[in-house]
This record gives sequence, C-alpha cells and structure tokens, in this order.
Amino acid sequence: MSPMPPSRAPKIAPATRRIAESRSQEDQTRLDAAMRGFITDFGPEAATWMEACLHCGQCAEACQFYVETGDPKYTPIWKIEPFKQAYNRQMGPFAPLFRMFGLTPSVSLGQLEHWQELLYDSCNMCGRCTMVCPAGIDIADLVEKARHGMFDAGLVPPDYLGALAGKERETGSPFGIAPNAMRDSLLEIGEKHGVEMHVDEPRAEVVPAVSSIDLKMYPDSIAATAKVLNHIGVRWSFMTKGFDADNVSLTAGDREGQKIVTEAIVAAATDCGAQVLIMPECGHSYTEMRWEAANTVGHALPFRVLHMSEYLAEALEAGQLHLRPVPKDGQGHGVTFHDPCQVSRRSGRSDAPRRIMQALGLDLHELADHGPDSWCCGGGGGVALIGRAKTLRNHAFDIKKRQVAETGADTVYVTCTGCRQTFEHGFKDAGAETGVGSLLDLVAEQLDEKEKTS
Amino acid sequence: MSQKDTLGQELSRRGISRRALLKFAAAAATSLALPPSFAPAIAEELSKARRQSLIWLSFQDCTGCLEALTRSEAPGIERLIFDFVSLDYQETLMAAAGTAAEDVLKAVAQENRGNYLLAVDGSVPVADNGVYSMIGGRSPMAILSELAEGAAAVLAIGTCAAYGGIPKAAPNPTGAAGIGALVGGKPVVNIPGCPPIPEVLTGVLVNFLTFGKLPDLDAQGRPLAYFGTTIHDQCYRRPYYDQGKFAKSFDDAGARQGWCLFELGCKGPTTHNACASLKWNGGTSFPIQSGHGCLGCSEPDFWDKGSFYTSLSGGEGPPWGAVAGAAAGGVAIGGAAAFAARRARASVERQLAQEWKAQEDEA
Amino acid sequence: MTLLDFARGPALYAATLIMVCGLVWRLTGVALLPFRRDLAASGPNAKGRVSGALWQVVSRSFPRRSFLGRTMVTVTIGYAMHIGLAVILLGGAPHILLVTQATGLDWPALPKGIVAIASGVTLVSLLLVILRRLTHPVLRLLSNVDDYLSILLTLIPVLTGILLAEETLLPYETLLTWHILSVEALMIWLPFGKLAHVVFVFAGRAALGARQARKGALQ
Repeated sequence: MSPMPPSRAPKIAPATRRIAESRSQEDQTRLDAAMRGFITDFGPEAATWMEACLHCGQCAEACQFYVETGDPKYTPIWKIEPFKQAYNRQMGPFAPLFRMFGLTPSVSLGQLEHWQELLYDSCNMCGRCTMVCPAGIDIADLVEKARHGMFDAGLVPPDYLGALAGKERETGSPFGIAPNAMRDSLLEIGEKHGVEMHVDEPRAEVVPAVSSIDLKMYPDSIAATAKVLNHIGVRWSFMTKGFDADNVSLTAGDREGQKIVTEAIVAAATDCGAQVLIMPECGHSYTEMRWEAANTVGHALPFRVLHMSEYLAEALEAGQLHLRPVPKDGQGHGVTFHDPCQVSRRSGRSDAPRRIMQALGLDLHELADHGPDSWCCGGGGGVALIGRAKTLRNHAFDIKKRQVAETGADTVYVTCTGCRQTFEHGFKDAGAETGVGSLLDLVAEQLDEKEKTS
Repeated sequence: MSQKDTLGQELSRRGISRRALLKFAAAAATSLALPPSFAPAIAEELSKARRQSLIWLSFQDCTGCLEALTRSEAPGIERLIFDFVSLDYQETLMAAAGTAAEDVLKAVAQENRGNYLLAVDGSVPVADNGVYSMIGGRSPMAILSELAEGAAAVLAIGTCAAYGGIPKAAPNPTGAAGIGALVGGKPVVNIPGCPPIPEVLTGVLVNFLTFGKLPDLDAQGRPLAYFGTTIHDQCYRRPYYDQGKFAKSFDDAGARQGWCLFELGCKGPTTHNACASLKWNGGTSFPIQSGHGCLGCSEPDFWDKGSFYTSLSGGEGPPWGAVAGAAAGGVAIGGAAAFAARRARASVERQLAQEWKAQEDEA
Repeated sequence: MTLLDFARGPALYAATLIMVCGLVWRLTGVALLPFRRDLAASGPNAKGRVSGALWQVVSRSFPRRSFLGRTMVTVTIGYAMHIGLAVILLGGAPHILLVTQATGLDWPALPKGIVAIASGVTLVSLLLVILRRLTHPVLRLLSNVDDYLSILLTLIPVLTGILLAEETLLPYETLLTWHILSVEALMIWLPFGKLAHVVFVFAGRAALGARQARKGALQ
C-alpha cells in the first residue's frame, strides 16, 4: 500500500534541482549548508530551550515512536542532538569555550545522515513531548527548525517527502497540479456531486484552501466543503492562484518553498478581499498559515485563518449552520474522535470539533487520551510521505489503534485529511474493521436545509 | 627553699598531707588522660621531684598570660606546683632589672644547660630583624634561638607564643610569628589561649616533673589531653544545639533560658580547648556560661576570622558591589557572545538571501 | 590560614562571584540573540504573554495526569529530591543563618529532625537518580559527563551536610570545611553545566508559556 495517491506517485524520485545539486556537492559544502541552516534558526526562544534540557528523559514517554518501539534513539530531545551540538559550538553563550576545548564534537555529515531517520521518519512534530517537558522545551518546534539545515544539506528523505517538496516549490503544488488543472478538477467535482462550485471569484469573504490529497483521494470532502459553505450562505470561492493546503515544503524543511506556498495563498486570499481563510487539515500547513504566515510575509494578515472545524463551530454558534442529528446506532457503539495535534494541542482548539459533534448528536466515546493529550495518528510531520517509514509508522499507530478499540466505537471521526489517510491505511494494514469518517463529510450529509430556509 | 629540696619536703613543710597529694595526682592523671592507677606513681614521682629551673621570656605580649597564671585565687596544689618550679628569669616578676637581670639569665642558663624549661609568652617579631621588641640590645629571635638551644623543652604559653596571636593579626606590621616556627630541634608544646587555662600549664609541668618529658601532643603541638576535643563537644549548652534551640540575640528569651549561642557567633564547634570542662577561676565559669559565645581565642589566627558575632555557618561573602560587578561582567561577556552569534547569523542570512535570489533570477 | 578559613573567606567570595557572573553571562548570551516580533493574530482563547509565561512557570511544576502512568518514577524521584533540597536549604537553621547574615532576611527554621529526614530522602533520591541514569536506556543515551558531575556535586554537599549535622565520622571542623568547599564547587559549576536549570527550567517554561498564551493553547 503506497502512502501516496497511486495516480500521482512519482515513478522515480524526480529530485528537484536543489536537492540533486546538494547530493552531488562535496561533503564539506553540504555540511556547511546544514550548519548555516541550523544557525539561522536561533533566537532567544530556541536558545533558551537549548539551555534548559535536564536530560530527564520524560519526553521519550510522551513519544509514540519510543513508547511503541522501546528504542531509546527515538527520545524526542535526542532527535535534535546535532542541532544542539551546532548551537553549542556556534550560537550558545559558551560557544567559544565549546570550540576551544572541544567540549562538543562538531557535527559531521555522517552523523546528520544517521539522524535523518530521527528527524524525519520518527517525528510527527505532534508536540506531545512539548507538553510533558518540565522545562517547557518545544521540541516539536526545534525539530521543525532542525529540518531546515537537513534540507539545505540535501538530507530530506527523497521518497517521497523531498520529491513532493521539490515539486511544490516548482509548481506551487506537491503533485504539480497547475492552476488551470486545479480549476478543472474542482468544477468537475462540483458537477459530479451536483454542488454549486465557486472557483476564482473576484470577490469572496471565505476562501478554503485545498489539499491535493483531498483532490485526488477524497473529492467528496471538496464537494462537502462547497455544500457546507453554500448552506451557510456566505460568499466564498476556491482560489487556484494559491490553494496548496499541504505545504509539504514546511515538513521537508524547505524554507524557501514554504515561503513560496505561503505567499501564494496569502496573495490569493488578499486579492479577493477574503475575511476568512479555511484550512482543511490539521497538519503543519494549518500551523503555518495560522501562526507563521504573517511573519513569513512580513505583515499582519488581512484575513483570519481558521481550521475547518473552527469555522464550522463558529457558524453553528452564529446560527448559520443547521444540522440534523445523526440517528443513534442500535448497538450503542457510538463513535470516537481523533484530535488533530496541530489544532487540538498546538493551537488549543479541541473545543471546536466537539461542539459540532454535539450539534450532530453523536454518541461520543472519548479516547483514553484525547483533547490536547491525544496521540498523533503517526502520519504528521510529513512521516506519511516517507515511503520507507511505513513499518515504523504503523508501529506508532498501534497505540492509536488500541485506544480506538478500547472505546468500542465502530467509527473514528477525524477533521484532518492527513489523519484520515493515515487512519485508513493504518486500519487497513492491521486488518481492522473500524471505519474512518470525515467530520466535514458528516456535516455536509446532515445539513438541515429546511431549518435553514424556515 | 633551695634547689635541692624535693616537692615532698616542700608540701610537708606547708602542712599538706600525702592524702591531698594523692588526690591531686589522681586528678592530674585524669586530666592528662592517664588511667587512675597511675595516681600513686605520679604522687611518688612528684614528691621525689627536685625543683625545676624555668626561664620565662616575654616578647610581644600583654602579660595577660602571666596574670592568669599567677593570680589564681585559690592557692591549691596547682598553685604550689607553679611555686615549686624555680622561676629563674621572668622580667615582670623578678626584682632585678637591667644588666643585673641579664647577668642572672646568663648564669642560670649556663648552670642548668640542657635541663631548664624555656617558657615564652608573646610572639616573636621577625620583620626588620626584630627591631620591634629589642631586649638589652638583642632581638627576640637571637635571644630565643640561644636559650632554646640549651633548654630541655620549650613551652609556648598563650596564643601569641603558640601561633603569633594578636600581634600577627593583619596587617601584621612586625612580622610576628609563633615560636614553634622558629625553634628547631627541641620539643615544643603549645599551650594556646588568650589567656591559656592555668591548669593546663600545671598539667604539663606535672607531666614533665613526673615522666621527664612533655605530654602527648596533637598535630598543632598542643597537649592532646586538654585540646583533643572542641569546646562545643563538652559544652553544657550542647543539648540545645542538638535540639535546634538557638538564642537569636543576647537578650531574647532563648538567651535567658541558656540556649545555644551558635547563631550569635559562638566558635565553640571549631575551637579546641578545655574551657567547657576545666572552666576558669577554680571551675567557676567560662565565657559561654556567662552568656557570650566562644571567640575561638586558642585557635590560630582567631583575630582574622571575621566577626566574633558571625555564625560559623555564615561565611562573609562578597559585598554587594562585588556581586554587582560580577553581574556586569556577565552581561559584558554574554553580550559579546550574543553579538558574535548575531553577526554569524546575519552573515549567513545575507548569503542565503543572495543564493535564493540568484536561483529565482535563474528560474 | 586554615582550610576552613579559606572555605569561609576567599573561596566563598570567589564562588559567589563566579556563579553570578556565569549565570548572567549565560542568560545574556541567550537573551540578546536576534529576536523576531510575532505578527500573527492571537487565537480566540488567547491570554496575555506575561500571564501565560507565569502560569506555565507554575503549572509545569505539577505533572500532567495523562503522562503520569509512564513518568511516575522519574517524577517521584525528582520531586523527592527537589522538595528535600528545598526543605534543607530553606528550613535548615544554619542555611537560614547564612542568608540572614548576607541579606538581613530571616525566617523561622524547621526542627532539626525534619531537616534530617529531608536530607536522608534527598540523599537516597540522588543515589536513585544515578542508578537510573546508569540503567534506564533512555537516560543512558542522554546522559553525559555534565549530568553525572552535576549530580555528584549536589550529592557531596548533602552527604557532608548530613555528617555535619550528626557530627559523626570526622571532626566537626573537617566536615564543615568540606561541606562548605563542596557547596562552593557546586556554585562554581552551577552556571556552566546543567545545574543552570535552576534558572533555565523556568526560562524555558516562560518562553513556551508566552508563545502558547498567544495561541490560546496553554496546557
């Protein structure tokens, strides 16, 4: 089972020019590139965290890669060890002493190659480690930063994360979907589902970004987006000039590509006078747009950035969204809900999806660890896009699988495309029967048009 | 009383019984940490002992040691022992003066060469060839080395003679030193204290008269029997220390109830002496009993160890100014480090921006 | 000058200055790195940066329940050691005296027996910490010389302190001397090794608190 949509999976890794170049560079040049990437990431915040680690090892206990494998190398803070070394030798307050007395060995390319697995394959940047850390070290954030240097040294796993990031930088979409192709696909989905589709309207209050995964694997969700927004009755439109809600570049560590994607979305949403930008998935593109885009483009955004679940919860609150309760299942199994890390934990919005589920009258059986404590699906942070990480990812997914099974629910609802895909693959690989449902799709099914018009 | 008389004869002349002598010998044995069975032997030896010649030199002293030793109110056997030695030269006590006195010294030293005890109170000025305390035109160093050579043993009486004492206190302009450092090749016993306890000197003399040698000494050259434990270990207020009951000021309720004076700066825990057991003035009292902490006067350099009222747990840390200076230094070094890091980061950022721009232009 | 005089005089002086200078150096070196203002709009549940930082400084002292199942041992040993140290430092009469003499601040001491129990607990916890570092695979991987040195430099003052309070094994003066000297060694190493967590653990929490407060995601 490929983690990628089969139709778009690259046959051979079409490495981008930059990656191809860095692969062929002399080791020293690549190492220099990594070090440059590392040192440009240190401000007072990251440096404070570098200084604060107690080596208490509690982060390991919060990380599903360690908990499920028992391999100490998956200890979160250990994953950024080279980054820490670079800091100590180059940026820290004792850097001259570290260099003079060789207190920390300098980072080597071999070491970084060795760490590739730790920084990419085994980190979802889910932030559970951040939550357990007694020193408040945001390890997830540090991993994201450390990936910058790794990418610059050509050390992003090429299959498929690096490849997709390269494509994204070149074309604005990880799968190389050009704006006009995108437009056609969206209109086609509208036709197929009988939904009024708005694409590239000159003015729009609400602009939903599009995940290419949705486009190829879950077109129903695109239709559901249109249906729900039509129901709410707001002036909305997809914008093909900047739509890429995947921002694979961010998870790959490509700052430049990340910037290109972000700028395109900001420009597109700004041009049509949008007030709200909706992100369809939990992953890092939501975090990027919500918390980093303003810094990337250098000014405050003229629109709000909301996750789909946040937007729906707001619409409910405002009385714009009318839902029919879901009929109870006979066995009383109920459903459970998987909190998307970046929304529930990292952005503090575990309340939003629960409001929607309440309105839908779902019999919610919470997971043992839910809300901000939820375990990641295992696919976040680009791990879903690393082919060789599949076994490890499935291993990490075991904890989720167990907790879902413990609830007795027969369906787990998700609000993030990435999670949805990981769950489906995870259950399928494990031969589990549990269904995976998109909360957005459910909302679209349960729209109460009568109530709306009355 | 002639040189040939024995102590026994002198005691019977004064009407002191053998029973009293035995009692004293038993007490002396105990205080010298000998088993009680030694008492008859001590009494026997003492009664046979001839008068011992003692030459007493005073250098940079205050005469306090001599006062303490000679002004004992109760004239017991201790006093008699002291009287019994032939104090052949003591500038303060002897009638002779000037060259007459110096002649006596010369004669006595010649006559008892190899046998006399040499007692010294006061420290020896070493700086500037000892000009600070010339006696008869000679420096203390010269007098000391000459007389020590002919002595059987040397007694350093009081903290000044033992360790340099108050004259040695910073800045020590005279280069004062204890005599232990200056006398070589002779047994020296330190009997520190400001002043020393009279009974300790008596005990040392009894030991010498009885066994013909100095008692066992500790690493600092002090008689182990008297200086083996600290005042704190034998203090009657010790139970309060163990219970954590401390007087916080000299007139609070704790002080009135006789609680431990540790927090008021008592140096008992680090001071080796017998004050708490022998006490002073015939066992009447000692400083802690009178409500004041121990000053640690029998320890080396006691004058330079900070305030008498600073507790042992509290050292005297740096003044706030120095701390502020250290903090300012930290800001300077840390600032320099951060500045270097900022520059490194900025130059890399410029480089990256150029490269990215070049790539974009190419594209 | 005896070793005790050295310990209580110049060594204490020097150790204090080195500790202050080193800590300020390290803090300044971190604080003056290029700072980037955050332009992102705050979240709907946002709190003030300062209150978020303070909240996190306090709340991170209490372990989160969902993790306790797996972190119980670490947390328990850590708590025992730190509470023990706090009792010794803040409740031990001689330590209060030291502060009183340096600053004029004074507070009542805890009974000697309680401090003795706390010392015992701390000593045992520190030994367990070493044992765990040597045996637990994660801790073995993470531990470096700094970790062991820092634990040892904490353990020695506790040990000498216990012997000093009980006045056993060695003469009072010797114990006092080594107790003070060992604390000074601790003070000198404090700013340079991971003992600096006395400051940075709170700085780290505050940094996270300030950031998460803006997002409305304080946990």
